[in-house]
Amino acid sequence: MNEAQILDALAGLTLFSDLDRPQLQAVAHTLSEESFPAGQRILRQGFAGSGFFVILEGEVAVRVDGEDVATLGKGDFFGEISLLLGESPVADVVASGSVHALQLAGPDLREFLLAYPVVMYRMLQAVSRRLDRANRRS
Amino acid sequence: MPLTTQEKRAQLEQVPLFRDCSSEVLDRLAAATAETAFAADALIVQQGQVGNGLYIIVSGGARIVAGSDELTRFGPGDFFGELSVIDQQPRTASAFAMGDTVCLALASWDLLAMLEREPVLAQNMLKELASRLRAADTQLRH
Amino acid sequence: MSTQHSTETSPFPAGEYGVVVVGSGPGGLQVSYYLSRLGIDHAVISADPAPGGMFRRFPFFQRLLSWTKPHAGQAHDTREYERYDFNSLVAAEPGNRAVMPGLMDGTSEFPSRAEMEAGMIEFVRRTGLVVRYDTPWQGTSRDGDLYVLHTPAGDYRTRVPVFTVGAAQPRLPDDIPGIEHAAHYADTREPSSYAGKRLFIMGKANSGFELASGLLQWASPIILASPRPAQLSVNLHSLGGVRARYVQPWEDAELGGGVFILDAATERLERHASGIAVHMRRSDDAEPFVAEVDEVIAATGFTAPLLDLPELGLSTFGRSGLPSMTSSYESVSMPAVYFAGTITQGVSGLKKYGIPANSGAVHGHRYNSRLTVDEIAGRFFDIERPRPAVAADEVVERLLTSASAAPELWHQKSYLAHALSRDPDGTIRDEGIVSLAEYVDAAGPDGAAITIETDDRGSIHPAVYVRRRGRVDTDAVLDESPLTDYRTPEHRAQLQALVVDVLG
Repeated sequence: MNEAQILDALAGLTLFSDLDRPQLQAVAHTLSEESFPAGQRILRQGFAGSGFFVILEGEVAVRVDGEDVATLGKGDFFGEISLLLGESPVADVVASGSVHALQLAGPDLREFLLAYPVVMYRMLQAVSRRLDRANRRS
Repeated sequence: MPLTTQEKRAQLEQVPLFRDCSSEVLDRLAAATAETAFAADALIVQQGQVGNGLYIIVSGGARIVAGSDELTRFGPGDFFGELSVIDQQPRTASAFAMGDTVCLALASWDLLAMLEREPVLAQNMLKELASRLRAADTQLRH
Repeated sequence: MSTQHSTETSPFPAGEYGVVVVGSGPGGLQVSYYLSRLGIDHAVISADPAPGGMFRRFPFFQRLLSWTKPHAGQAHDTREYERYDFNSLVAAEPGNRAVMPGLMDGTSEFPSRAEMEAGMIEFVRRTGLVVRYDTPWQGTSRDGDLYVLHTPAGDYRTRVPVFTVGAAQPRLPDDIPGIEHAAHYADTREPSSYAGKRLFIMGKANSGFELASGLLQWASPIILASPRPAQLSVNLHSLGGVRARYVQPWEDAELGGGVFILDAATERLERHASGIAVHMRRSDDAEPFVAEVDEVIAATGFTAPLLDLPELGLSTFGRSGLPSMTSSYESVSMPAVYFAGTITQGVSGLKKYGIPANSGAVHGHRYNSRLTVDEIAGRFFDIERPRPAVAADEVVERLLTSASAAPELWHQKSYLAHALSRDPDGTIRDEGIVSLAEYVDAAGPDGAAITIETDDRGSIHPAVYVRRRGRVDTDAVLDESPLTDYRTPEHRAQLQALVVDVLG
């Protein structure tokens, strides 16, 4: 992916949809580009030092105690709950095929959100919705 | 006796949601919140109705009920009703007062304005929601 | 199949080989060394006239960032010395080890570019590696199982190509009008030619600061700009970020000395009679901003020259177009196509706390390639890795000795690990150095792996991963040790408690 393609990919994500172009460029330079082969875990249940990820291409399975509970794909993000709570992940996130993702180092998430309040707000919306769905299911 | 702005501010300072917020934001919150009292078992918010704001419990408590299921209970210093503010969706659950209850109500537009102005507030809310989400997910698995 | 005789000056005539290695930089030479020692028939072809790879040209300002300490308390011909020598290629024979300290003139612990190039040449001479030079790979086709590499000397056919072509192809941003007025970092001239020039450097990663450092006494003002803030490697606890030697321009900017460091995206360049106008937009307030300069250098990165491999189905990712690879550096989309050298930085490993491994540098990838060659040997040549038996009462000592001194763990923290496992019959086997990500994520026999890790506070300690019933469930850390020697009663007790049920 060249620079323009990465920016377009980011601009298309709800999480970053309120950022203007210069902010999007700064974000694109802040996140690192990673590739994960099929079967590799991206988040590991119980491990320290996890990060925040946004999927650019491919799919991942969210797995708890060996059982798949969800699938995430292009545009989805994960890892933020553990980082916000200062805990290790409670689920594995496993690359289903080859996955390309953007990564933000765990220690940097807090400052990143404070620097981009509009992104934090979008994340707040996403987490609210997930909480709502979880409440309805119980 | 209704709370003065000073007293409201003092209450708000105790609320974890507003921890580390600037003095200016706390003053605005004190001015913007309206004190409301509820008798025991009174309905505070109704499931299915359009949400108009967030409630912070000053004294007493609230039972959160969706359909016939009790989801959780909140006490002094807790807040509820935020989902419909953030997402502008109808209330996903009802809240009933547990005993005589006093709340500070913050209208949707005021909360949204605060969230934009004070990233620390947004981050506190995000952490609280994350914590509730983790608890809900954990519960679902057991 | 060719029947030409090979000659001293032109070995490996076109034809079919068990493995073909493309490239004669440190990556290619290290792979060829490992293949030779396993007796695996292979050809090495290179576009260059001599060994050295990127070190035939870079770094510009003449000294490397990686050090080789002549006096490190370890004999040079030992494996343990490798921890202090970031620049030599590695070997099992004492006589082939630690080429660099012998070549450096003693004025610095950082070799000059010329010394590094000489080191590669000397490694080839001592180990007897053979390379066919002046034979550029120019294209690729497939013929069943075989990959066909086209060169002016003819076609090289193999089931297993190993591309070690580096990542030194300049990459300019393609979305900036007027970018043609910028020179790429790779085309930087002799420093004195920038005397008195107003200079704009696009990019605040290490190469941007390297340029600013090297041109600090010549160009003025020097403006460095990129969308996001620069970060120092000492703050990142890794070799990412701006390295210590290149911090001078930062200090200059802080003191108002004529260097300006901006967080801004470059939008377009315009050439006028009086210079080049650089139109930027600041990252903090999105305000436009213009600077007029004489020269613009784009320190905007490099790509790997993978030619037509992507058209043939090679999956790549990111700005640098690196291949998507497995933990042993095989392409995820083209079977049996392997990579070595700096390209291995495309496999990020656990990257705990966001701290990357050192795979882009010689001292990292010289170990990564061992995983590649071991896999090739097992998969294609029926050569199995030795797995010597280990007595139960040696387990803890062996792991702690590795943690204290194994160069692989110290150069590739939280990326490579030393693993022991238990066979079904109860025998404990030494698996040697493994990929940590592969160890924690793939199924396998019960056992444990130890590595060295840094956390977000910069604290360094051993980390232990125990595999039980095919799964690695948690990471456990052992205590720090101020002088990084973990052979203490406390460490022994901690490790024993962790592994006793699988390796006791």
